[in-house]
Amino acid sequence: MEFKDNIPIYLQIEQYLYRQIVQGQLPAGTKIPSVRRLAVDLTVNVNTVQRALQQMNANGILITKRGEGNFVTEDEVLLAKTKQHLLDMELQRFTEQMRQLGVKRNHLVEILTHYLEEHIDDR
Amino acid sequence: MTASLSIKHMNYHKNRQAILTDVNLTLATGKIVALLGANGAGKTSLMRVIAGLAKNYRGEVAVAGKTELAQRKKVLAFNENLQGFSKSEKLANILSFYVAVYPDFDEERFNQLQEFMDLDLNQRLGQLSRGIKAKLVIALTFSRQVPLYLLDEPFSGIDVMSRKKIINSILLWKGEEATILLSDHFVDEIAQVLDEVVIIKERTILCHVPADQIRERGETVSTYYEAQYEEDM
Repeated sequence: MEFKDNIPIYLQIEQYLYRQIVQGQLPAGTKIPSVRRLAVDLTVNVNTVQRALQQMNANGILITKRGEGNFVTEDEVLLAKTKQHLLDMELQRFTEQMRQLGVKRNHLVEILTHYLEEHIDDR
Repeated sequence: MTASLSIKHMNYHKNRQAILTDVNLTLATGKIVALLGANGAGKTSLMRVIAGLAKNYRGEVAVAGKTELAQRKKVLAFNENLQGFSKSEKLANILSFYVAVYPDFDEERFNQLQEFMDLDLNQRLGQLSRGIKAKLVIALTFSRQVPLYLLDEPFSGIDVMSRKKIINSILLWKGEEATILLSDHFVDEIAQVLDEVVIIKERTILCHVPADQIRERGETVSTYYEAQYEEDM
Protein backbone atom coordinates (compact mmCIF):
# COMPACT_ATOMS: atom_id res chain seq x y z
CA MET A 1 0.00 0.00 0.00
CA GLU A 2 1.17 3.50 -0.83
CA PHE A 3 1.06 5.96 2.02
CA LYS A 4 0.90 9.72 1.79
CA ASP A 5 3.75 11.14 3.78
CA ASN A 6 1.91 14.25 4.98
CA ILE A 7 -0.90 12.42 6.79
CA PRO A 8 -0.23 10.44 10.00
CA ILE A 9 0.37 6.81 9.05
CA TYR A 10 -1.87 5.51 11.84
CA LEU A 11 -4.82 7.42 10.33
CA GLN A 12 -4.09 5.93 6.92
CA ILE A 13 -3.95 2.43 8.38
CA GLU A 14 -7.35 3.05 10.01
CA GLN A 15 -8.77 4.22 6.69
CA TYR A 16 -7.32 1.18 4.94
CA LEU A 17 -8.94 -1.19 7.45
CA TYR A 18 -12.28 0.66 7.37
CA ARG A 19 -12.28 0.17 3.62
CA GLN A 20 -11.46 -3.51 3.92
CA ILE A 21 -14.36 -3.88 6.34
CA VAL A 22 -16.89 -1.96 4.24
CA GLN A 23 -15.81 -3.58 0.96
CA GLY A 24 -16.20 -7.02 2.51
CA GLN A 25 -12.58 -8.23 2.52
CA LEU A 26 -12.90 -8.21 6.32
CA PRO A 27 -16.58 -8.99 6.94
CA ALA A 28 -18.40 -8.61 10.28
CA GLY A 29 -17.14 -11.00 12.91
CA THR A 30 -13.89 -11.97 11.18
CA LYS A 31 -10.52 -11.94 12.84
CA ILE A 32 -8.18 -9.36 11.42
CA PRO A 33 -4.52 -10.24 10.74
CA SER A 34 -2.03 -9.97 13.61
CA VAL A 35 -0.31 -6.68 14.32
CA ARG A 36 3.00 -7.95 12.99
CA ARG A 37 1.38 -9.42 9.86
CA LEU A 38 -0.29 -6.07 9.13
CA ALA A 39 2.98 -4.23 9.78
CA VAL A 40 4.84 -6.39 7.29
CA ASP A 41 2.03 -6.42 4.69
CA LEU A 42 1.74 -2.63 4.80
CA THR A 43 5.47 -2.03 5.45
CA VAL A 44 4.85 0.06 8.52
CA ASN A 45 5.96 0.03 12.11
CA VAL A 46 4.32 -2.34 14.61
CA ASN A 47 3.76 0.59 17.01
CA THR A 48 1.91 2.51 14.30
CA VAL A 49 -0.37 -0.45 13.58
CA GLN A 50 -1.04 -0.77 17.30
CA ARG A 51 -2.00 2.86 17.53
CA ALA A 52 -4.46 2.47 14.65
CA LEU A 53 -5.99 -0.67 16.18
CA GLN A 54 -6.31 0.98 19.59
CA GLN A 55 -8.23 3.79 17.98
CA MET A 56 -10.51 1.32 16.19
CA ASN A 57 -11.03 -0.59 19.42
CA ALA A 58 -12.00 2.65 21.13
CA ASN A 59 -14.50 3.31 18.32
CA GLY A 60 -15.95 -0.15 18.81
CA ILE A 61 -15.42 -1.22 15.21
CA LEU A 62 -12.86 -3.76 16.38
CA ILE A 63 -13.27 -5.97 19.41
CA THR A 64 -10.32 -7.51 21.21
CA LYS A 65 -10.79 -11.03 22.50
CA ARG A 66 -8.11 -11.84 25.03
CA GLY A 67 -5.45 -14.12 23.64
CA GLU A 68 -7.28 -14.43 20.33
CA GLY A 69 -6.74 -11.13 18.60
CA ASN A 70 -8.94 -8.44 17.07
CA PHE A 71 -12.30 -9.10 15.44
CA VAL A 72 -14.54 -6.94 13.30
CA THR A 73 -17.69 -5.95 15.19
CA GLU A 74 -21.01 -7.58 14.32
CA ASP A 75 -22.91 -4.48 15.39
CA GLU A 76 -24.80 -3.61 12.22
CA VAL A 77 -25.60 -0.07 13.27
CA LEU A 78 -21.92 0.63 13.79
CA LEU A 79 -20.99 -1.01 10.47
CA ALA A 80 -23.60 1.08 8.65
CA LYS A 81 -22.23 4.20 10.32
CA THR A 82 -18.73 3.28 9.21
CA LYS A 83 -19.89 2.84 5.64
CA GLN A 84 -21.71 6.17 5.76
CA HIS A 85 -18.54 7.80 7.06
CA LEU A 86 -16.51 6.48 4.10
CA LEU A 87 -19.22 7.60 1.67
CA ASP A 88 -19.27 11.05 3.26
CA MET A 89 -15.53 11.33 2.83
CA GLU A 90 -15.73 10.46 -0.86
CA LEU A 91 -18.61 12.87 -1.37
CA GLN A 92 -16.78 15.61 0.44
CA ARG A 93 -13.79 15.07 -1.82
CA PHE A 94 -16.02 15.08 -4.92
CA THR A 95 -17.88 18.21 -3.82
CA GLU A 96 -14.64 20.03 -3.13
CA GLN A 97 -13.17 19.06 -6.51
CA MET A 98 -16.29 20.27 -8.28
CA ARG A 99 -16.23 23.51 -6.30
CA GLN A 100 -12.66 24.08 -7.46
CA LEU A 101 -13.86 23.52 -11.02
CA GLY A 102 -16.47 26.23 -10.53
CA VAL A 103 -19.57 24.06 -10.08
CA LYS A 104 -22.03 25.50 -7.57
CA ARG A 105 -23.59 23.22 -4.97
CA ASN A 106 -27.11 23.61 -6.37
CA HIS A 107 -25.91 22.39 -9.78
CA LEU A 108 -24.23 19.23 -8.52
CA VAL A 109 -27.30 16.97 -8.65
CA GLU A 110 -28.18 18.16 -12.13
CA ILE A 111 -24.64 17.60 -13.41
CA LEU A 112 -24.36 14.20 -11.83
CA THR A 113 -27.76 13.08 -13.13
CA HIS A 114 -26.79 14.19 -16.60
CA TYR A 115 -23.48 12.37 -16.40
CA LEU A 116 -25.12 9.15 -15.23
CA GLU A 117 -27.64 9.29 -18.09
CA GLU A 118 -24.84 9.76 -20.62
CA HIS A 119 -22.84 6.90 -19.15
CA ILE A 120 -25.68 4.51 -18.57
CA ASP A 121 -23.70 1.54 -19.89
CA ASP A 122 -20.65 2.09 -17.67
CA ARG A 123 -20.12 -0.35 -14.91
CA MET B 1 11.42 1.40 32.40
CA THR B 2 15.07 1.88 31.49
CA ALA B 3 15.58 3.78 28.25
CA SER B 4 17.25 1.90 25.40
CA LEU B 5 19.64 4.77 25.01
CA SER B 6 20.44 7.74 27.19
CA ILE B 7 23.11 10.31 26.32
CA LYS B 8 23.78 13.25 28.58
CA HIS B 9 26.02 16.21 27.85
CA MET B 10 28.28 14.21 25.61
CA ASN B 11 31.22 15.90 23.88
CA TYR B 12 33.58 14.21 21.50
CA HIS B 13 36.84 15.64 20.18
CA LYS B 14 39.30 14.10 17.78
CA ASN B 15 42.70 15.60 16.97
CA ARG B 16 41.67 18.68 18.97
CA GLN B 17 38.70 19.18 16.71
CA ALA B 18 35.16 19.19 18.07
CA ILE B 19 33.23 16.37 16.38
CA LEU B 20 30.17 16.33 18.63
CA THR B 21 29.18 18.98 21.16
CA ASP B 22 26.74 18.72 24.05
CA VAL B 23 24.70 15.83 22.69
CA ASN B 24 21.62 14.89 24.71
CA LEU B 25 19.36 12.10 23.54
CA THR B 26 17.01 9.59 25.14
CA LEU B 27 15.36 6.77 23.20
CA ALA B 28 12.55 4.72 24.72
CA THR B 29 12.29 0.95 24.22
CA GLY B 30 10.68 -0.55 21.13
CA LYS B 31 11.17 2.36 18.74
CA ILE B 32 12.44 2.67 15.20
CA VAL B 33 14.28 5.96 15.02
CA ALA B 34 16.03 7.64 12.10
CA LEU B 35 19.19 9.65 12.69
CA LEU B 36 19.23 12.16 9.86
CA GLY B 37 21.87 14.65 8.88
CA ALA B 38 24.05 15.84 6.04
CA ASN B 39 27.37 14.16 5.36
CA GLY B 40 29.85 15.34 7.95
CA ALA B 41 27.20 16.40 10.48
CA GLY B 42 28.35 13.71 12.88
CA LYS B 43 26.02 10.74 12.32
CA THR B 44 28.69 8.08 12.06
CA SER B 45 30.70 9.60 14.92
CA LEU B 46 27.63 9.51 17.15
CA MET B 47 27.01 5.87 16.20
CA ARG B 48 30.64 5.04 16.96
CA VAL B 49 30.53 6.75 20.34
CA ILE B 50 27.34 4.88 21.31
CA ALA B 51 28.85 1.59 20.06
CA GLY B 52 31.98 2.16 22.12
CA LEU B 53 34.28 2.33 19.10
CA ALA B 54 35.12 6.00 19.63
CA LYS B 55 36.27 6.19 23.20
CA ASN B 56 37.57 9.63 24.03
CA TYR B 57 34.33 11.37 24.76
CA ARG B 58 33.12 13.21 27.84
CA GLY B 59 29.66 12.96 29.31
CA GLU B 60 27.40 9.98 29.89
CA VAL B 61 26.32 7.32 27.41
CA ALA B 62 24.06 4.52 28.68
CA VAL B 63 22.61 1.67 26.64
CA ALA B 64 19.82 -0.18 28.47
CA GLY B 65 21.22 1.35 31.65
CA LYS B 66 24.80 0.16 31.03
CA THR B 67 27.46 2.85 30.90
CA GLU B 68 30.64 0.84 31.24
CA LEU B 69 32.15 0.08 27.83
CA ALA B 70 32.41 -3.71 27.99
CA GLN B 71 28.91 -3.99 29.48
CA ARG B 72 27.50 -1.67 26.87
CA LYS B 73 28.90 -3.64 23.95
CA LYS B 74 26.99 -6.67 25.19
CA VAL B 75 23.63 -4.93 24.93
CA LEU B 76 23.96 -3.38 21.48
CA ALA B 77 24.56 -4.55 17.94
CA PHE B 78 26.27 -2.29 15.41
CA ASN B 79 26.08 -3.09 11.70
CA GLU B 80 29.73 -3.54 10.93
CA ASN B 81 30.96 -3.30 7.38
CA LEU B 82 32.86 -6.60 7.63
CA GLN B 83 36.12 -4.81 6.85
CA GLY B 84 38.01 -7.12 9.19
CA PHE B 85 37.35 -10.10 6.93
CA SER B 86 39.33 -10.97 3.82
CA LYS B 87 37.55 -10.94 0.48
CA SER B 88 38.19 -14.66 0.05
CA GLU B 89 36.45 -15.49 3.35
CA LYS B 90 33.48 -17.81 3.00
CA LEU B 91 30.24 -16.55 4.50
CA ALA B 92 30.02 -19.76 6.55
CA ASN B 93 33.31 -18.80 8.28
CA ILE B 94 32.06 -15.30 9.00
CA LEU B 95 28.99 -16.89 10.58
CA SER B 96 31.18 -19.14 12.75
CA PHE B 97 33.10 -16.08 13.87
CA TYR B 98 29.90 -14.32 14.94
CA VAL B 99 28.65 -17.42 16.76
CA ALA B 100 31.96 -17.67 18.64
CA VAL B 101 32.24 -13.99 19.54
CA TYR B 102 28.67 -13.14 20.54
CA PRO B 103 27.05 -15.30 23.21
CA ASP B 104 23.65 -13.82 22.29
CA PHE B 105 23.98 -14.85 18.63
CA ASP B 106 20.93 -16.97 17.78
CA GLU B 107 21.74 -19.43 15.00
CA GLU B 108 18.13 -20.48 14.57
CA ARG B 109 17.24 -16.88 13.94
CA PHE B 110 20.14 -16.52 11.53
CA ASN B 111 18.88 -19.52 9.56
CA GLN B 112 15.49 -17.88 9.21
CA LEU B 113 17.04 -14.59 8.15
CA GLN B 114 19.40 -16.34 5.76
CA GLU B 115 16.48 -18.10 4.11
CA PHE B 116 14.42 -14.91 3.97
CA MET B 117 17.33 -13.00 2.43
CA ASP B 118 18.27 -15.86 0.13
CA LEU B 119 21.92 -15.91 1.20
CA ASP B 120 24.30 -18.63 0.01
CA LEU B 121 26.85 -19.42 2.73
CA ASN B 122 29.21 -21.09 0.23
CA GLN B 123 29.87 -17.75 -1.40
CA ARG B 124 32.92 -15.68 -0.57
CA LEU B 125 32.70 -12.15 0.77
CA GLY B 126 34.38 -10.67 -2.32
CA GLN B 127 31.76 -12.19 -4.64
CA LEU B 128 28.83 -10.37 -3.07
CA SER B 129 27.07 -7.41 -4.69
CA ARG B 130 26.43 -4.40 -2.47
CA GLY B 131 22.80 -5.39 -2.01
CA ILE B 132 23.62 -8.93 -0.95
CA LYS B 133 26.38 -7.74 1.35
CA ALA B 134 23.94 -5.31 2.97
CA LYS B 135 21.49 -8.20 3.49
CA LEU B 136 24.23 -10.34 5.05
CA VAL B 137 25.14 -7.55 7.46
CA ILE B 138 21.49 -7.16 8.49
CA ALA B 139 21.11 -10.94 8.95
CA LEU B 140 24.21 -11.04 11.17
CA THR B 141 23.16 -7.95 13.12
CA PHE B 142 19.60 -9.11 13.81
CA SER B 143 20.68 -12.60 14.79
CA ARG B 144 21.93 -11.01 17.97
CA GLN B 145 19.24 -10.32 20.53
CA VAL B 146 19.97 -7.01 22.17
CA PRO B 147 18.03 -3.97 23.40
CA LEU B 148 19.67 -1.58 20.90
CA TYR B 149 20.55 -1.97 17.23
CA LEU B 150 22.65 0.69 15.54
CA LEU B 151 22.41 0.65 11.76
CA ASP B 152 24.76 3.12 10.11
CA GLU B 153 23.46 3.84 6.60
CA PRO B 154 22.10 0.34 6.06
CA PHE B 155 20.63 1.25 2.67
CA SER B 156 23.48 3.12 1.06
CA GLY B 157 24.02 2.15 -2.56
CA ILE B 158 21.54 -0.72 -2.72
CA ASP B 159 18.61 -1.38 -5.03
CA VAL B 160 14.92 -0.98 -4.19
CA MET B 161 14.21 -4.71 -3.86
CA SER B 162 17.07 -5.30 -1.43
CA ARG B 163 15.94 -2.29 0.55
CA LYS B 164 12.39 -3.63 0.81
CA LYS B 165 13.69 -6.99 1.89
CA ILE B 166 15.82 -5.37 4.59
CA ILE B 167 12.98 -3.19 5.86
CA ASN B 168 10.67 -6.21 6.02
CA SER B 169 13.21 -8.26 7.89
CA ILE B 170 13.56 -5.44 10.42
CA LEU B 171 9.78 -5.40 10.88
CA LEU B 172 9.66 -9.20 11.20
CA TRP B 173 12.64 -9.83 13.46
CA LYS B 174 12.85 -6.79 15.66
CA GLY B 175 11.96 -7.78 19.23
CA GLU B 176 9.09 -5.80 20.77
CA GLU B 177 11.33 -4.07 23.29
CA ALA B 178 14.27 -3.55 20.95
CA THR B 179 15.04 -0.07 19.67
CA ILE B 180 16.65 0.62 16.32
CA LEU B 181 18.61 3.76 15.56
CA LEU B 182 19.38 3.96 11.87
CA SER B 183 21.18 6.71 10.05
CA ASP B 184 20.62 7.95 6.55
CA HIS B 185 21.07 11.19 4.69
CA PHE B 186 17.69 11.00 3.09
CA VAL B 187 14.47 9.74 4.52
CA ASP B 188 11.87 9.09 1.82
CA GLU B 189 12.55 5.39 1.55
CA ILE B 190 12.12 4.65 5.24
CA ALA B 191 9.75 7.41 6.40
CA GLN B 192 6.69 5.20 6.78
CA VAL B 193 8.32 2.76 9.19
CA LEU B 194 9.68 5.37 11.58
CA ASP B 195 8.43 6.15 15.07
CA GLU B 196 10.73 9.10 15.57
CA VAL B 197 13.20 11.30 13.79
CA VAL B 198 16.41 12.72 15.24
CA ILE B 199 18.09 15.44 13.21
CA ILE B 200 21.77 16.15 13.70
CA LYS B 201 23.30 19.34 12.45
CA GLU B 202 26.55 21.11 13.14
CA ARG B 203 27.84 18.49 15.56
CA THR B 204 24.82 18.38 17.82
CA ILE B 205 21.21 17.24 17.98
CA LEU B 206 18.90 19.83 16.54
CA CYS B 207 15.60 18.08 17.20
CA HIS B 208 13.96 14.79 18.15
CA VAL B 209 10.29 14.40 17.13
CA PRO B 210 7.69 11.66 16.57
CA ALA B 211 7.21 11.11 12.81
CA ASP B 212 3.40 11.20 13.03
CA GLN B 213 3.59 14.49 14.93
CA ILE B 214 5.26 16.02 11.87
CA ARG B 215 2.51 14.58 9.67
CA GLU B 216 -0.22 15.84 11.98
CA ARG B 217 0.88 19.32 10.98
CA GLY B 218 0.45 18.34 7.32
CA GLU B 219 4.19 18.24 6.67
CA THR B 220 6.17 15.32 5.32
CA VAL B 221 9.15 13.98 7.21
CA SER B 222 11.42 14.80 4.29
CA THR B 223 10.27 18.42 3.89
CA TYR B 224 10.57 18.86 7.64
CA TYR B 225 14.11 17.50 7.53
CA GLU B 226 15.06 19.65 4.56
CA ALA B 227 13.64 22.75 6.28
CA GLN B 228 16.06 22.22 9.17
CA TYR B 229 18.92 22.53 6.71
CA GLU B 230 17.38 25.10 4.40
CA GLU B 231 18.77 28.25 5.97
CA ASP B 232 22.24 27.15 4.90
CA MET B 233 21.37 26.93 1.23
